[in-house]
Amino acid sequence: MSYEKVEVYSPRSLAEALEILSQKKEHIKPVAGGTDVMVMLKDGVVKEKELLNLSYISELSYIKEKESRILIGAATKYREIRRSPIINAYAPILIEAVRQIGSPQIQNLGTIGGNLGTASPAGDSIPPLYVLNARVKLQKIGTSREVQIDKFFLGPRKTVKEPDELITEISVDKMEPGSYYFFEKLGLRSANAISIVSAAGIINLENKTVKYLRLSLGAVAPTVIRATDAEEEAKGKELSEDLIDRIAKLASEATKPISDIRGTAEYRKKATYGIVYEALYRIFKGYGKKIEYGFEKTS
Amino acid sequence: MITESISKYSYINKSIPRIDSTDKVGGYLLYLTDLKLENALYAYTFRSKVAHGKINAIYTEDAEKVNGVKAVLTYKDIPAMNGYGAIVPEIPVLAYDKVRYYGEPLALVAAETQEAALEALSMIKADITPLPVIHSIDEALDENAPKIHDKGNIARHTVVRKGDVEKARSSAYIVLERSYETPMQKHMFLEPEGGVAFVDEEGAINVLAGGQTPYRDRIQISRVLGIPPEKIRVKNTPTGGAFGGKDDITVQIHLALLAYKTKRPVKLVWSREESGIAGFHRTASKIKLRTSVDRDGSLLSNEATIYLDSGAYQSFGPTILDVSIETINGPYRIPNYVIDANLVYTNNGIASAFRGFGAPESNFAIESMMNELADELKLDPIDLRLKNILKTGEVGPFNNEIRHAEGLEEALKRAKELFYRPDPTGPFQRTGVGIAVSVKGVGFGTLPEFPSAAIEIAPEGRVSIMFSNVDYGQGINTGNAQLVAEKLQIPLSQINVLHSDTKFAPDTGGSSASRSTFNAGNALLLACEKALSELKMEAASYFMTKSDVITYKDGYFYFKDKTVSIYELAKRLRFKGKSTRFEATLEVPRYTEAVEGTLEVPHMVYMYGVIITKVEIDELLGKIKPREVDFIADIGNVINPAIAAGQIEGGIIQGLGYSLIEELNYDKDGKPLNINYTTYVVPVITDSPLINVEFIKSYEELGPFGAKGVGEVSIIPVGASVADAVTDAIGKRNYKLPLLPWRII
Ligand SMILES: Cc1cc2nc3c(=O)[nH]c(=O)nc-3n(C[C@H](O)[C@H](O)[C@H](O)COP(=O)(O)OP(=O)(O)OC[C@H]3O[C@@H](n4cnc5c(N)ncnc54)[C@H](O)[C@@H]3O)c2cc1C
Repeated sequence: MSYEKVEVYSPRSLAEALEILSQKKEHIKPVAGGTDVMVMLKDGVVKEKELLNLSYISELSYIKEKESRILIGAATKYREIRRSPIINAYAPILIEAVRQIGSPQIQNLGTIGGNLGTASPAGDSIPPLYVLNARVKLQKIGTSREVQIDKFFLGPRKTVKEPDELITEISVDKMEPGSYYFFEKLGLRSANAISIVSAAGIINLENKTVKYLRLSLGAVAPTVIRATDAEEEAKGKELSEDLIDRIAKLASEATKPISDIRGTAEYRKKATYGIVYEALYRIFKGYGKKIEYGFEKTS
Repeated sequence: MITESISKYSYINKSIPRIDSTDKVGGYLLYLTDLKLENALYAYTFRSKVAHGKINAIYTEDAEKVNGVKAVLTYKDIPAMNGYGAIVPEIPVLAYDKVRYYGEPLALVAAETQEAALEALSMIKADITPLPVIHSIDEALDENAPKIHDKGNIARHTVVRKGDVEKARSSAYIVLERSYETPMQKHMFLEPEGGVAFVDEEGAINVLAGGQTPYRDRIQISRVLGIPPEKIRVKNTPTGGAFGGKDDITVQIHLALLAYKTKRPVKLVWSREESGIAGFHRTASKIKLRTSVDRDGSLLSNEATIYLDSGAYQSFGPTILDVSIETINGPYRIPNYVIDANLVYTNNGIASAFRGFGAPESNFAIESMMNELADELKLDPIDLRLKNILKTGEVGPFNNEIRHAEGLEEALKRAKELFYRPDPTGPFQRTGVGIAVSVKGVGFGTLPEFPSAAIEIAPEGRVSIMFSNVDYGQGINTGNAQLVAEKLQIPLSQINVLHSDTKFAPDTGGSSASRSTFNAGNALLLACEKALSELKMEAASYFMTKSDVITYKDGYFYFKDKTVSIYELAKRLRFKGKSTRFEATLEVPRYTEAVEGTLEVPHMVYMYGVIITKVEIDELLGKIKPREVDFIADIGNVINPAIAAGQIEGGIIQGLGYSLIEELNYDKDGKPLNINYTTYVVPVITDSPLINVEFIKSYEELGPFGAKGVGEVSIIPVGASVADAVTDAIGKRNYKLPLLPWRII
């Protein structure tokens, strides 16, 4: 255990934070909710001697609509996401995932930007972001850039973010009314569990024919992945048990899992099949979750 | 469900809230690891990063030079014996010639500040030549395996037998031969090992640390320091959870050594990770059974080969092995058996006591065997058990006369009504129901025990009750207070509990083997009788009459129309210079001789239970969800139904963790992999199934107001019942715990 002293900077504005970061670069570690950073500090894996505390920067915490997109500030806490009428109305798949992150205590502190910053393939907010075509906004003094979510991650704990950049915003597509969706997570217990396998899917049906399927998988490869072969296979076909079987098989084939104390590679492949099969089967049988845009009409 | 039936008692059979719950729930209670002594030194442990190796040198010079460092101790600084261990004192206090597990302590540091202590810790260097690491029972038994101890890798081997197994087997209708495995389990108590120590004005060393058995701790400290036990005080309360993991020494000797050497108060608390690395765990087991039955289902013979993984040293290993021997025949009539039992050394930490103490391991084997035999015989598993359980008065397999087995029969009959497969909640879900029977002796079997307890009547209107068993969350303070309230017929509010402190409480032994109600309760009742008889004489003197015409009720003595309270009498006694403290010693009822080949088998008093577990399994994911658990218990007369049910529920959830997800793992270098709450996954409250607890009406004359014990009975049969339910659901038997999803599909 490391008790080394760290210095904490708590800027009140984004500009100030970026200024500090531009000077200290890789010598300072951003921290939002701290639910990952505190654990890393204790384990002695944080090399930086200084922390850049983002939790007082209110301009990094928001949920807004912008035409067909939703903009989420990087330091928005899971609790805010769960309560947000906008997310509930237009991106409920994210609610499904956030609901299953940690426990109420973790959701009260943890942020979506932190989940991206940690860049674990088991990060539970990430699979929904893949199927919502998320873009990650990275900002440094003077400039900013936007990166497609699947270009953001390079591997476990590795991203394209430069040391002088902060994640400032995550933007996602609004889901199309009438689409079905799911987020399923398999862990060894019902709370505070790290995913062994997770899957997020959005499926749009016209009568029984698949207009499109977007399917992403977590904890089964060095980063979260899109199961593109499975998506292709589904396109334009009538949903049937047979098609579901093929989709689930292709999803399973897309994985490159490892073996660890949370599960063998072989099991992760089998469970990927199972989790995808069951989720699609529920939709096929008519008891899947469907987005209706309910909020808009009642306001 | 807790049934609180109408009772003739005033203070027992009642779900009185725990007397210490307000402070605990409110967060006011200071645990011993919360104590901040003035002027205290910070202490840390330097541990081996090699799991098995020869120690060439330990360099402490640089560490000693760090500013603020007051002591850096190695084996060279140990005044007397460098060893401890509840049964065999073979565990080095600080390693000297070899290290035998990853994290074994090599040196201790104490300094004025945390920073100085940690800096010093980082400057200690150990020169150790690594030896090949032994990871498992199988590796340890290999004839070419390196020897962990000079005497080899078998710590204890014994064979216990009766009858003629060959003959019995040859005439049997069915003979099944199966192998079973159970994992190492961590206790994961909320408060890690730790405490404080100081030398008081009288020169006595005070050790205040979480523990279970203060007087044994005291003896173990005394041997190492070479000072008499009377010069040492051990206080173990309050302790934030133990489950057996604090029954042997954890930090106590290190604390005492540091206080003794520095003459300063010291504080030593293990981090969660240290607790994970160096704290105790449950023995892993490998058990082979060959069991035979008659065509009608009567058990004919049982041949068992038991291997328990003791880790690097023995701690409680030898007696854990005894309990596994006693459990392997279940509560059944088995005329012929051979039990070949082995305690094996490996480099996997140190195994020690853990709720159930060898019983869950053997129970998983024999109860799984019973379920499979029932299948083979096409018999109802409950009927098979009803046919084979020993009845009251029968002589059991270990030559013991069975007492009160009616409770088990009644529990099995009740189980029939609860034994059904629930409906699945959706597609891909399969459901199953499983059963197992639990039996566990109360206390230390044939080992002689003479626990003492005391009560003191204060004229101010309070009765203090004193015993050394530790209430680390089980609720024994409340239960024992209820027993005394019942005996003296005084309200609970007048009772004050002073326990687990060698300064105040006599030696009642420790909290283990479900013995704290039975032993402390009985000893307290004796002390109450002594008090009442003395007070009655004082009352006679007060009333100017003979004691035999005086009656007693609700804290008052009566003679004709006159009354006097126990407190007024205590005042009179005190005035006369007499003590108002009454101490008594119990001779624990037991068989005088242990069965050949054992240390303490059999017990005289057994707790019984029947468990029914209903599970749902996702057939594509292999994930098992326990949905409902019924537990029907015979624990004797139930002193406090809510507390007893709490013990049973807690044991079930801990047992479900053991059956489904918990498993301590080591890597190829012998380093433990899952050492904290992130990596060692225990169930959370939302994983709990619906639990239904029922108590059989029962009364054990040997116990205090008919009570037996409760702490361990429910964890024991969980594994076999879950495995059985899984078999019922998917048709495939499993012989290895935990039933992780990847072992299912
Ligand atoms: C008990 C427990 C249970 C958990 N359960 C789950 C779970 O079920 N699912 C799951 O996915 N996770 C889980 N986690 C992990 C963690 O809570 C999440 O990853 C969370 O999203 C992290 O957010 P945070 O704000 O606390 O991040 P922090 O700890 O503050 O930061 C995490 C990382 O992101 C970087 N970072 C944070 N914000 C920014 C920013 N704006 N710009 C650049 N870099 C940034 C930090 O430098 C750091 O590297 C759990 C953690 C704990 C302790």
